[in-house]
Amino acid sequence: MEIDLLFKIAGIGIIVAVLHQILSKAGREDQAMMVTLAGVVIVLTVVIKEISSLFSAVRTVFNL
Amino acid sequence: MEIIKIIALGLVATIFIMMLKQYRPEYAIYVSLLAGAGIVLLVMDKLAGIINILSSLSNKANINSGFLGILLKITGIAFLTEFATSICKDSGEIAIANKIELGGKVIIIGMSIPIITALLELIIKILP
Repeated sequence: MEIDLLFKIAGIGIIVAVLHQILSKAGREDQAMMVTLAGVVIVLTVVIKEISSLFSAVRTVFNL
Repeated sequence: MEIIKIIALGLVATIFIMMLKQYRPEYAIYVSLLAGAGIVLLVMDKLAGIINILSSLSNKANINSGFLGILLKITGIAFLTEFATSICKDSGEIAIANKIELGGKVIIIGMSIPIITALLELIIKILP
């Protein structure tokens, strides 16, 4: 389950980097910024979900 | 066979981080966070089994279960603070890592006060 999460995040990172380059070369700086922000938001939702599951696991194991 | 999954996850994450570092450095932090969480979740159930065995043994040896609970909480807090500080240090934020460590130490000391008081009372009782 974790491996494909890693692939997803790396894929999003590469796509955002490539799109940012293309859009900035094409002179549309604002859209490039939009793409970067969208990438950050998507990746953050995935990462936060994973971190919250980690915290709940630790809480149940160590009964914090 | 569990170890192979852990090694694979760690290596794949390291490769992705090296790749992403040139273009998007912030994604490197996301990938390292995810890899760390994934590896810990992999070993979490084994850890739960070990902790159950320890607590049952301590019940047999009728050690005060309150102290064992506090010890477990302290290890949990220590583990979480170490997890956060290593992520901060990786991304170069040594100051934030030290602040998190300070917070963790203060909380751990705060929780271990009952144990310290019990120890002191025991010592006072023993002394003539």
